[in-house]
Amino acid sequence: MAARTRSKHRLADGTPLRELVRVEEGRIAARVFTDPEIYQLELERIFLRCWLAVAHESEIPHPGDYVTRRMGEDPVIVVRDREGQIHVLLNSCTHRGAEVCRVSRGNAREFVCPYHGYRFHLDGELAGAPAHEWAYDQQFDRKAFTLHRARVGTYGGLIFATWDVSAPPLEEYLGDMRWYLDLLLKRTEGGVEVVGAPHRWIIEANWKTGADNFIGDGLHTFMTHRYAIELGVLPNDPLIGWFGWHISVGRGHGVAIVGAPERIPLPPYLGLPQELWPLLERALTDAQRRILERTATVHGTVFPNLSLLNTTTIATEEGMPRVPFLTLRVWIPLGPHRMEILSWFLVEKEGPEWYKEASRKNYERTFGLTGTFEEDDADIWVSLTRANRGAFARKYHVFNYEMGLHRQPRPRTEWPGPGEAYWGDYCEANQRTFWAQWRRLMTEDRG
Amino acid sequence: MSVSAALSDELYLQVVTFLYREAYLLDHWKLEEWLSLLTDDALYLMPVRVTEWGIESQGGVRELYHFEENKSSLTLRIKRLQTQFAWGENPPPRTRRFIGGVLVRKGDRDHELEVTSSLLFLRNRGDSPDLSILSAERQDILRITPDGLRLARRLILLDHTVPSLESLFIL
Repeated sequence: MAARTRSKHRLADGTPLRELVRVEEGRIAARVFTDPEIYQLELERIFLRCWLAVAHESEIPHPGDYVTRRMGEDPVIVVRDREGQIHVLLNSCTHRGAEVCRVSRGNAREFVCPYHGYRFHLDGELAGAPAHEWAYDQQFDRKAFTLHRARVGTYGGLIFATWDVSAPPLEEYLGDMRWYLDLLLKRTEGGVEVVGAPHRWIIEANWKTGADNFIGDGLHTFMTHRYAIELGVLPNDPLIGWFGWHISVGRGHGVAIVGAPERIPLPPYLGLPQELWPLLERALTDAQRRILERTATVHGTVFPNLSLLNTTTIATEEGMPRVPFLTLRVWIPLGPHRMEILSWFLVEKEGPEWYKEASRKNYERTFGLTGTFEEDDADIWVSLTRANRGAFARKYHVFNYEMGLHRQPRPRTEWPGPGEAYWGDYCEANQRTFWAQWRRLMTEDRG
Repeated sequence: MSVSAALSDELYLQVVTFLYREAYLLDHWKLEEWLSLLTDDALYLMPVRVTEWGIESQGGVRELYHFEENKSSLTLRIKRLQTQFAWGENPPPRTRRFIGGVLVRKGDRDHELEVTSSLLFLRNRGDSPDLSILSAERQDILRITPDGLRLARRLILLDHTVPSLESLFIL
């Protein structure tokens, strides 16, 4: 038994997984970003166990509405049934495995497999098959061949699913991260809605590069997005990303709430339109409202692969109002060196039309495949994935995750929210939290 | 050289030459010159596309775009490249735009032409042996002006729902 446990925690060459992720010392091996063996283990130990974000309720508002997504590499259908209940079904027929849904969104009464005509109800139960009385000699066991169903939970309109029957309830999984998700998803009574369909594109980078960046990388802005400084649309100050709170929320989740130095004026509530202010004041607690009052950017990651960004962006054309935009995205693993980025643009339902339009354009022009900020992030994530595939990097290259290692979290009197809050977003406490959770799951002993 | 809205061989030749010249300017990063071929009120649009049942969905999702640009926002995109810090485009990619299937008809307004064309876009970056490939239909409105043809509106219908490349500042 001991030998079996040990081998589970070691890679084929004998390297213990634990040694690759030394968060206590601020050291993470390059290998975790590129190794095919580690990637295969992640699919089982992380993507089969965690709650994964798959859709937002506003994408499937009506009975029969569905979208197709992925949980890890596995394709799923996210569908609302006649009673309004949401199901997440493996998009693979229980007879011979063909996809029972062949488009990425629509409305259906049932799903019919194109191979032999197995028909499934919207809750995944097998409804019938052609000539089944003859084909199966009247012993067609409908109940035994339901489409594989994931557990489903929603929070703030976001739909999550997990394959793990023993996973804690979603609310517990999100834990204190709910307090921060509320700042974005539940800050008005109506909440936010997805506009159109998400941006989706594929880049040759490991999925964790995005999660690791969004959870707490305040430092990269000054160099990665330097074009904006050169053009004078961001201040030329190496501390532009420092002035904020960097909060390790626990369970691998992290968030940062960033303002600006005192001397730089900021519009209240990230520049949300004034019409929304009274709604914010009603929906949020006093502490939450005060936090948003002098904020320019909120970024974070819900373990493992959902990230969020709400930011007052640069003006993307002359005379354009500076309004914030909100994007949520999942970093979908498609191999050790490849991921799909699926990025939603969301906006407050109650927002005035001019704001929705300006917010959308600012998002489209700065994030997504063609976004002037996202391009630079993505290019660098591709380059770091490319640079660390060689034998030397795999064996010896270790990254510096020491930023803020010796900083203490501030007392609750200074920060009203949950989690361990560090002053200054030039910190890697959140990244270390992410990797600690990754290590926990990758080395956990389970039946 | 004056142009009229009569659909002559000469006009067709002018349209095709316009599209080729535009592609040449983009491939050679003569981006300010390219911008000068746009009318001041130009729109440059590339909607997100989604796989759905039925033909009606084939025009893209007109609620969210990869490009929802006007001349001012395109100008900012081009200024960005001149900073040397646009990592997604620096070192600059090598691109090749192939244009075919050019169809021209009179537009709804005088002095406007509706031009449909196919685009094959190939891009190579760094020392990668691979080409990124995008293909698309372009639905353009070209305006006949005293200075020659100008691009007033471009709608790009990408043939991809999930393009595979890490950066794209213009197509």
